[in-house]
Amino acid sequence: MKTALRKGLSRPVAIGLQVGSVAAILLLWFAVTAGSPEERFLSPLTLPSPGEVLAQIKSLWFDAALTRSIGWSMTRILLGFGLAAVVGIPLGILAGCLRSVEAWLRPITIFLRNIPIAALIPLTLVWFGLGESQKVFFIFIACVGFVVFDTTAAVLEVDERYVQTAWTLGAKPQHVVWKVLIPLALPAIFNSLRLLFGLAFGYIVLAELIDAKFGLGYIIQIAQRRGPREHIYLVLFVITIIAFAIDRFLFWLQKKLFPYMFAEE
Amino acid sequence: MADDVRLKPMAWVLIIIVVLGLVALGLYQGRDYIFPTGQKGGEVSKEDLGGKVEAPDTTGVTTVKEYKFVPKEVLPPVKGAANYRALRDNTVVMGLNVWAGWAPIFYANGGTDPNPNSLFAKKYGFKVAIKIIDSPSASINAFAAGDVHVTAWTLDMIPLFYEQLKADSRALPRAFLQVDWSNGGDGLVVREAIKSVADLRGKKVALAQHSPSHYLLLNLLINSGLQPSDVDFKFTEDAFQAAAAFSADRSLAGCVSWAPDIYKLSEVRGNKLLVSTATANKLISDVMFARADFVRDNPKIVDGLVRGFFDAADELKNEANKKKAAALMGKAYGLPADEAVNMLGDAHTTNYAENRDFFMNQNNPTNFERYWETASTLYMKLGSIASTVRFDQVADFSFIKALENVEPYASSRDEYTVTFTPKGVSSIKAEATEILTNTQQIHFYPNSSELFYKNADGGLYDPNATKILEEVGRLVGQFGMARVVIEGYTDSSMKGFVPFDAVRDLSMSRANAVKEELVKRFKLQPNQFSVAGEGWNKELEPGNHALNRRVEIKVYPLEQQ
Repeated sequence: MKTALRKGLSRPVAIGLQVGSVAAILLLWFAVTAGSPEERFLSPLTLPSPGEVLAQIKSLWFDAALTRSIGWSMTRILLGFGLAAVVGIPLGILAGCLRSVEAWLRPITIFLRNIPIAALIPLTLVWFGLGESQKVFFIFIACVGFVVFDTTAAVLEVDERYVQTAWTLGAKPQHVVWKVLIPLALPAIFNSLRLLFGLAFGYIVLAELIDAKFGLGYIIQIAQRRGPREHIYLVLFVITIIAFAIDRFLFWLQKKLFPYMFAEE
Repeated sequence: MADDVRLKPMAWVLIIIVVLGLVALGLYQGRDYIFPTGQKGGEVSKEDLGGKVEAPDTTGVTTVKEYKFVPKEVLPPVKGAANYRALRDNTVVMGLNVWAGWAPIFYANGGTDPNPNSLFAKKYGFKVAIKIIDSPSASINAFAAGDVHVTAWTLDMIPLFYEQLKADSRALPRAFLQVDWSNGGDGLVVREAIKSVADLRGKKVALAQHSPSHYLLLNLLINSGLQPSDVDFKFTEDAFQAAAAFSADRSLAGCVSWAPDIYKLSEVRGNKLLVSTATANKLISDVMFARADFVRDNPKIVDGLVRGFFDAADELKNEANKKKAAALMGKAYGLPADEAVNMLGDAHTTNYAENRDFFMNQNNPTNFERYWETASTLYMKLGSIASTVRFDQVADFSFIKALENVEPYASSRDEYTVTFTPKGVSSIKAEATEILTNTQQIHFYPNSSELFYKNADGGLYDPNATKILEEVGRLVGQFGMARVVIEGYTDSSMKGFVPFDAVRDLSMSRANAVKEELVKRFKLQPNQFSVAGEGWNKELEPGNHALNRRVEIKVYPLEQQ
């Protein structure tokens, strides 16, 4: 088996394994939920059958307004995360360039990166009221610490020899920042933003706990309170699909923007 | 060859415009399918809450009339083998949230842990483990999974739970005990500018959705003639957040929350408590329910829970025992002892007689059936649930009925009814402003004050009279600690032809007819009512005679006694 260690797979084999894994899970799901409600291995209240889940697609689409909810959730995530990027990236770059700023910001980022996010719900409610701003700022606060930290790290990781080369070529400090540090740190910054966006997406359920009229998190919350529970499973699939699609899009964009990072593959 | 055929740039532009136009048109035409707006709350009409009256009942009722059916024969059957977690060491798992009303349960059990010295263990031979689960959805998830055998929530929430549990007949709720009435534990706090419920039109109110707060506000709105859509509901996760939002956000005109928050908020300048369950003292009630498979397999335990609850409730009349119960609850909820003692007053524990009246008396305006139907109808109209079931699919009063000849339960008496002293309309109005006004168009035959006036063909002159009485009966029943003023109005069709005194007398006797019928039908106290004849005063809409011929039912807070 030594040969299999870290060895690449051919595409058909990889796809076959992926399909197999999904099929195995579906098969197991069918098996434990087959039969009349009271005779199943698992009660429909514990796990509805695949058929019962699929039967709720119509009500998810129409009654729960799936498309509108996706629109609202995406808007909230993009605004909150966008704000975190607009604030966090410049601060991070500044901190990466000036160690004094980094030291100043460090306690704040440590705090923001370690607080339990769910505890922010009542606080954002008191600070921002019940409207949209509460949801946007919730995501902003949840993400901004990570954006600053990762950006700082990306700038600090730029190899010192590029900076030294620039100095010997007679560069001024602003040249070092704009022509060396930022361009060289950008791919790493973009990569971390791509990963953090997935994080922001995960927070939408928490962000929409309070006074959301539409939203993916809101659908889950309502389904939990009064059903149908099948909506929860469906929304989880929807979130996974959207998050995956966005991640692939950003990855593609990354390849276009920084082709040299992927040249060797 | 084909290479020569080239489209000009202009042609491309045109094609693109046409294609985009078609796509946009398609999206627009299909917008209801591609971007549906979701379920919208429908209108709630007065008829919806008038009850499912089969035929106008003109005889009225003067005695207690109990249901004749046997719950076991009507309740949905339980199929298959039990699916709850097997009792370990004969211990029942009960899920409870943080609420004052559980005092008898804590007292009987001596705290949250299974206890061989508890009243349940010593008298009835089983133990109880209380799990504090504050979130309704978490609690009902545990109930659905069978990890919790018994739980208690407000009856208005059970139609919502039923919707979730109906997929498995073993997890259906069986309600077997009324634990308490909220007695000041829930309330609506508003800004000073809001004088009565009707002033909330177009305003923002914070509250927890699908909670007793929601039910309280919906009832107040409907009874005031407002639609749920007339008020901008701001839904929070729970009642504490609603209170926090109200103090943080000045744009909110009100919030529905719990004690002690409602009292703390109402002490802040510019705020006031508009109404609480101290006045609407039969509006929100907690009911204990178990999984259907658990009730089927453990009738002895359910019987023990019911008896043990009444035994403990009786012992709690003693102050020292009350302190003991408060200390046990304070420990479980993480509250200081004095706060726990204070919170005991938020709920009225219902004894055997009150339980029997609640579950079995058909003529009780605030019985299980009416409460269930009102909550189910409201939530269905709002689109919160897709279907409703009758109350007899949930209420299992067999355990209450079984005690009808068992002492000391059988000899208990209703202890939750105050005795009203008669009071004139003018002095009621001088002392307070009304909480709400319920306007009803009752069509009296000209010059008659007979509610069930029969036409020549034997049909009723106003076939809706029974429904209206039913609705007003529920309202008055819910406000068991409020004074009710009934004002009769006539139209002004005879203005200038007859003296005002004549129409005033007519409107007075019409208001009286409504009062008499309510008293007779629902066994209400005559002294809770004060009547006035207003004649053609205060027309709702000048000239609209049908609209102006009406009675207005006004609810006033009861003076401090």
